[in-house]
Amino acid sequence: MEDKKPSPFVDLMSGGVWLALAIAIVVISWKMDRLAHLQASIYTAPALVPGLLGIAIAIMGVLLILRSVRAGALSQPHLAIGNIRDHWRVLTALALCFVFAIGLIGSGMPFWLAAALFIAAFVFVFQFEDRKAAGTLLRGAGLAVVFGLVCGGAIHYVFQELFLVRLP
Amino acid sequence: MFDGLLLFGHSIATFATPTTIAYALGACLVGLIIGALPGLTATMGVALMTTLTIALPSNVALLILICTYVGAIYGGSRSAILLNIPGTPASAASCLDGYALARQGLAGRAMGIATSGSVLGTWIGMIGLALFTPVLGEMALKFGAYEFFWLALFGVVISGNLTGNDALKGWIAGFLGLFVAMIGQEGMYAYDRFTFGIHDLSGGISLIPALVGAFGFAEVLTVIKERPPKIIINAFDTVIPRIQDVTQYWRTIIRSGLIGTGIGIVPGVGEDVAAWSSYAAARRASKEKDKFGKGSVEGLMAAETGDNACVPGAVIPVLTLAVPGSAPAAVLLAAMLIHGVQPGPLIMVNNPQFVYDVVTMMLFASIGILIYGLTLTQLLVKILQVPQTMVMPVVFVLCTVGSFAIASRFFDIYVMLAFGVIGFIMRQLNYPMAPLVLGIVLGDLLDKNLRRGLTLSDGDLAPFFTRPISFVMFCLVLGTILMNIPAFTNAVARLWATATAPLRGKSSDA
Repeated sequence: MEDKKPSPFVDLMSGGVWLALAIAIVVISWKMDRLAHLQASIYTAPALVPGLLGIAIAIMGVLLILRSVRAGALSQPHLAIGNIRDHWRVLTALALCFVFAIGLIGSGMPFWLAAALFIAAFVFVFQFEDRKAAGTLLRGAGLAVVFGLVCGGAIHYVFQELFLVRLP
Repeated sequence: MFDGLLLFGHSIATFATPTTIAYALGACLVGLIIGALPGLTATMGVALMTTLTIALPSNVALLILICTYVGAIYGGSRSAILLNIPGTPASAASCLDGYALARQGLAGRAMGIATSGSVLGTWIGMIGLALFTPVLGEMALKFGAYEFFWLALFGVVISGNLTGNDALKGWIAGFLGLFVAMIGQEGMYAYDRFTFGIHDLSGGISLIPALVGAFGFAEVLTVIKERPPKIIINAFDTVIPRIQDVTQYWRTIIRSGLIGTGIGIVPGVGEDVAAWSSYAAARRASKEKDKFGKGSVEGLMAAETGDNACVPGAVIPVLTLAVPGSAPAAVLLAAMLIHGVQPGPLIMVNNPQFVYDVVTMMLFASIGILIYGLTLTQLLVKILQVPQTMVMPVVFVLCTVGSFAIASRFFDIYVMLAFGVIGFIMRQLNYPMAPLVLGIVLGDLLDKNLRRGLTLSDGDLAPFFTRPISFVMFCLVLGTILMNIPAFTNAVARLWATATAPLRGKSSDA
C-alpha cells in the first residue's frame, strides 16, 4: 500500500491505458472463434468471459478517467517524471536484473558464477557513492566480489545439491 | 468432534519425528528472517520455499511452507518494533504502538507482547481451522456452478475493496488478474486464447512466476528506488513475554483472534486488513483509548494477535473451496496442487486427515515462533543491520530460481520479469497487488462456472440470482460495490435517519 497518491493526471493516463487495453480485449474476444463447427453453445464460447471482463475493465477505466477529470486532471496536465538522473537507481537496477536474467542465465555460464557476477556488480554499483565518499572503493569492490561468490555458491549448494532443485 | 481429536492426535504422532521438527524449525527461522527484513514479504517467502521444497514429500513440503508463512507474519513485527518499518504489510499496525514502546526503552517488552500475541493468535486461528473447516466443507458441498461464479467474483471485489486505499483501483487490479487467467488454453475446448501464436503462452501464465514477479522483483525495484535510510535500532530490555500482559488483555486477545480468523476466511483479504481491523476493534472497546498510538500494550497485542490468527483463517477457504484467503495462501494453494493434494469441497469426504495435518503444521509453526521469539533477538538485530543493497540482489537471484524451478522453463523467468515491471509501475500508481494475484487464481473458477452455469440453465440468468446461496453472494457483491458510491451511502444514511427519527424522538422525550 503506497502512502503517496498519484496526481489526477497520472490517474487519467492510467485510466486511458486500461480503457485501451479493455477495448483491445473486447475486439479480440469478438473476433475469436465461437467454435460453431463443434456445435458449441454460444454460452460456452471461449470468448464469452474475456469479453465480459474487457467490458468491465472498460467501464472501470472510464470511471477512473471521469474521477480524475473531476479531480482536476485537465487543469494540471503534466507528468511529474522529473529528470532521468532522479531515476538512475531504478533504471540501473532494472538494467542489471535484465542482463542477469536474460543475458547471463542460459548463456552457458554456470549458474553460481552468473549469480556471483550479478550480486557483486549490484552491490558495488549501489554502494559506489558511499564507498567513494569514504575512500574505500577498492575494499568495497573486494567485499562485493567475495559476497557475490559466497552467495552464488550458497544458492547453488542449497538448491541444487541439498534440495535437488534444477537451476537455470 | 471426537473423530477430529483422533485425527489430530494421529497427525501429531506422524509429524513428531526429529527430521520433521528440524524442517519446521528451519522453515520458521527462514520465515522469521524473510518477515523481519523490510522488502521481503510472506507471499514471496512462501513462493520461494515452494520452489525449494519441490522434490520433498508433500506433507513435509507443506509443513515447511506453513511454517515459513507463520514465521514471516510474526517476523514482520521485529522490524516494526525496532525500526518503525513494517517487515511485511501485515505488521504496519504494529508499528504504531510497537515502535512507541521501543522509544520508551521497552522494545524487549514489545517483542514479548508480539510473541505472545502471535502465538495465541495462531492458536485461536488453529482452533477455528479445526472447527470451521468441516462446517464450511459441508456447506461447500451445496455449491454449484452459480455459487462458484459468485464466489470468484466476490473474492475479487472484496479483495479490491479492502486491500488498498482506492476501491476502484483495487477492482481494476482484480479484473486484470481475472483477465490474465484467461490467457492460454481454456478448460472446455482447449482453445488458445490471447496467445498470439506464442507456444509458451498456451500453458497459461503460471501463478508462482507471476507472484514472484509482482511481490519479489517489484519489491526489489521499490526498495532500491530510494536511498535506504541509516538503520538505528533502539536498545531493548528482556523479550520474555509477561503473563500479566496476557491475563490483563485476554478479552482483546480472544476478540482479535476471532476477527483475524474471520477476516482470513474472506477470500483474498489477508493479514494486513486483519491486523488493522483487530487494532480498530481493540481501540473502540478499550478503556485506555488515549494510549493507542503512544505505546499501548493492548493495541500491539490486538494487531499481532489479529494478523497471526488470519493465517489459519486464510487456509480454511483454501481447504474447503480451493479459494485463497490471502496472497500467501494463494501460493499455498498452488503448492498443494503441485504436490498432488486436491483441496476443495470434497476434502472432508476424501481426505479429512489432511485438514488435521494442516492444523498440526500450524501448531508446529506456533511452537517454532515461540522458541525463536524467546531466543533469537540478537541474531535478528544483526540481520536487520545488513544493508538492503546487499539483500536485494540475492532476492532477485532467488526470484529467477523460484520462477524457473517449478517447470524448468525460461519462459517463466520472462513472466516474472514482466510481472515485476508491471507490478512496480502499478504500485507506484497506487494499485494494490493482492487483488491481481487473487484474480489470477480465481479466473479459471469464474470462467468455467459462468459458462457451465449458463449451459445448465440454457442461457437463463435466473438461477444466478434465485438460488439461496447465489442470492446471498450476489447481494454481498452488489453491497460491496454500492458501499463505495457516495451518493448511495448518503441516501442510505438519510433513509436511516428518517426511519429512526420517531424512535430517537421518543427516547429523547423519555
